[in-house]
Amino acid sequence: MKVTLAMKPMTKGFIPIEAESIVPKNFLSGTDLSVWRGNRELRLDEAFSVSVEGSADRAEDVEVVLSGDTCRLKRVGEYMDAGRITVLGGIGMHCGNFMSGGTIEVHGNADGWLGREMAGGTIVCRGDVADYCASGYRGGRKGMKGGTVEVFGRAGDFLAESLAGGTVVVHGDAGDMAGAEIHSGTLVVHGNCSRPAANMKGGSCYVYGTARGMIPTFRKVGTVQHEGRTLIQFTGDLANRGKGNLFVKDYEYLD
Amino acid sequence: MTELLVKNACVIDPLRGINGEVMDIAIRNGKIVEEVSDAAEVVDARGMLTMPGGIDSHTHICGTKVNFGRYMSPEDMRAGRTPRQGAMHATSGYSVPTTYGNSYRYSVMGYTTLLEGAMAPLEARHTHEEFSYTPLQDTMANTLFDGNWGILEAIRDGDTKRVAAIIAWTLSAVKGFGVKLTNPGGTEAWQWGKNVTCIRDPVPYFEVTPAEIIRSVVEANELLHLPHSVHLHCNNLGTPGNYTCTLGSFGLIPDLNKKRQTLYATHVQFHAYGGSGWKDFCSKSEPIANYVNMRPQIVIDMGQVMFGRTTTMTADGPMEFNLYRLHHDKWSNHDVELETGSGIIPVIYRRKNLVNSIMWAIGLELALLTKSPWQCLLTTDNPNGAPFVKYPEIIALLMSKRYRDAEFATVHPDTESRVPLPAIERELDWHEIAVMTRAGGARALGIQDLGKGHLAPGADADVAIYPLRIDEVDPAAEYQKVIDGFSQTEYTIKRGRVVARRGECLVHGSNATFWVRPKVPENYDMGKDPDFIEKFDRYYTVRMRNYPVQDEYLTRSRCIETEADL
Repeated sequence: MKVTLAMKPMTKGFIPIEAESIVPKNFLSGTDLSVWRGNRELRLDEAFSVSVEGSADRAEDVEVVLSGDTCRLKRVGEYMDAGRITVLGGIGMHCGNFMSGGTIEVHGNADGWLGREMAGGTIVCRGDVADYCASGYRGGRKGMKGGTVEVFGRAGDFLAESLAGGTVVVHGDAGDMAGAEIHSGTLVVHGNCSRPAANMKGGSCYVYGTARGMIPTFRKVGTVQHEGRTLIQFTGDLANRGKGNLFVKDYEYLD
Repeated sequence: MTELLVKNACVIDPLRGINGEVMDIAIRNGKIVEEVSDAAEVVDARGMLTMPGGIDSHTHICGTKVNFGRYMSPEDMRAGRTPRQGAMHATSGYSVPTTYGNSYRYSVMGYTTLLEGAMAPLEARHTHEEFSYTPLQDTMANTLFDGNWGILEAIRDGDTKRVAAIIAWTLSAVKGFGVKLTNPGGTEAWQWGKNVTCIRDPVPYFEVTPAEIIRSVVEANELLHLPHSVHLHCNNLGTPGNYTCTLGSFGLIPDLNKKRQTLYATHVQFHAYGGSGWKDFCSKSEPIANYVNMRPQIVIDMGQVMFGRTTTMTADGPMEFNLYRLHHDKWSNHDVELETGSGIIPVIYRRKNLVNSIMWAIGLELALLTKSPWQCLLTTDNPNGAPFVKYPEIIALLMSKRYRDAEFATVHPDTESRVPLPAIERELDWHEIAVMTRAGGARALGIQDLGKGHLAPGADADVAIYPLRIDEVDPAAEYQKVIDGFSQTEYTIKRGRVVARRGECLVHGSNATFWVRPKVPENYDMGKDPDFIEKFDRYYTVRMRNYPVQDEYLTRSRCIETEADL
């Protein structure tokens, strides 16, 4: 089953739409769903042109395709456990929160908190992601616990903050505080980033570019070969009695 | 004129010696009266357990410290979310909820009066502002004097009357209610990066000991004839073997007051630890309770720990730093100029943790081993031991040996060899619970003459009606019914109005704040004392004239005037 949701042009200003109902399994029982704009509840067909092809018995067989200006559409795929969501453009904040299975593919850019606290499944973003991608909640102890996030563009600040499982791969650069508070899991940044893995407790963080503003409380172990690259290995964060591994191609401390 | 008649209530009112009598309660204009006209609105209590409104004699619900707990734990606000409904505002939070969250949840449990356990005088405005947004309870604030420079100097000079004068000026200025000593001297030593280990260690610079602080402030408190006694958080909280320090502190206290205790020792669970370290950590509730049993001048509260997530917050800065080193999670530390300090960390108490299991047992043991319920009040030191919403479970644990045994089977298996709890057979009755949750609190705080904690004509019409039939429910066996009954009143009546019904708060309410203004002779008026003024101007970041809390901060002001013997 393929559900296509074409966003209708927004007539009223910049109020984002909260669309936690857009999850593949919800479409098994039809398209009689609602979303919220501010304090107003809208039927799905008030916000989107809805078309459905085929039918399905299982969420795994449902694909939701979002098109149009979806940059202000929030919470798409929240608690999703199976199926597929394809976003042809960009997507708003909190896409794939708490997701535990299935696939979300974003062809444009994703706003903040992509895949926050996700537990499983796959998110692929072909563009850039904003801050707090694959992170935890503000003040929370555990962020993403499983699954995979792959970003082909750049990532903002606090990428994979409090990562507690799963894999996060960013092909471009990442911002400040990438992988802060990692407990376990793996973060790979192909480009540069600053202050990686601050206060790391466990897990692994790879930076294939330059780590700027390198945290001084990591102990240098030596060089290792990793997938054809020569990387410098650190352990830490000693400030947090951490036993994590940080691998960087190159690093510079703050002046 | 508004009249209300509560019919067929099964009343337990310990301060009047009423225990389970079916009677009517007449209310006019917010007060209990002998009788009302036929036009009165009738609430049929149908034989349900009816008591004076609950009084929490030590809780942390308002002020800078609580608010910083909210600030540093945004994740706490993910729990306990309720939408706006009727007269109720939206609420959120579990261990440090919004003020409305605190107020509604307390009200649904039948609580109508709360004592904020620790207010830093300099930051009193914040406490009073949050009080006015805690609309369904009357409030009062213990004021911190543990590291007050003026008082420490007066104690060093042996001038107890000056200690009293500074307390009098400060209480009047910040609209405080009682005198709180939190780790006396310890938080001041913490400004030097130190602590005091017990009552004989001198505080740096001031060279006075906690024992001297406790003794002179207790004397000063009685010179001022304050309604409440000194409210003490002993030194050395949370350390293995600290029970000797607690006993030493209790031993300093003479019996100075006929009407009430001379010392209120708070959250004694945290001060009743044996052992020389965490490896041989054990309960010393027995010596503490025995000591309290022999001394009517001391009242304690439990400070019960319940398993789960919460936030610890206290003016005891060094202790919170030690806790931080154990947990290695978030930590906040705060210094309040010439007065005190504070620390906050979030914690999780776990059943599978031996130390936490022992702590859980100690609180219950204190309540069960203290013979008189008037001497051991029910608290969790909210939210330090647990959020107050756990009170119904604690009541059930105290009333049912079977429930205790069932819970005991789920805690760390080594607990049995470290605590006396499994051997304690005592089960508290309804009357004792009424004492521990309202009457005892009113007497200990000295507010029964102000119409709190009882239902005699003239008293404030604060009534809690619980959906419990005490002649039908056997608390020893049907503990779940006890928990359910105390979790949600059928009616909570505050100042003569039904404010909560079956879990829903019905009115917006408006809070009254009790505070104390001791009258002192001219020569003891610190507002005119040159030395005091000079110190103030030199060291405080605020001007003395800007320091007092203005009347506008109090929605309803209930000022208690006392005559000082100076």
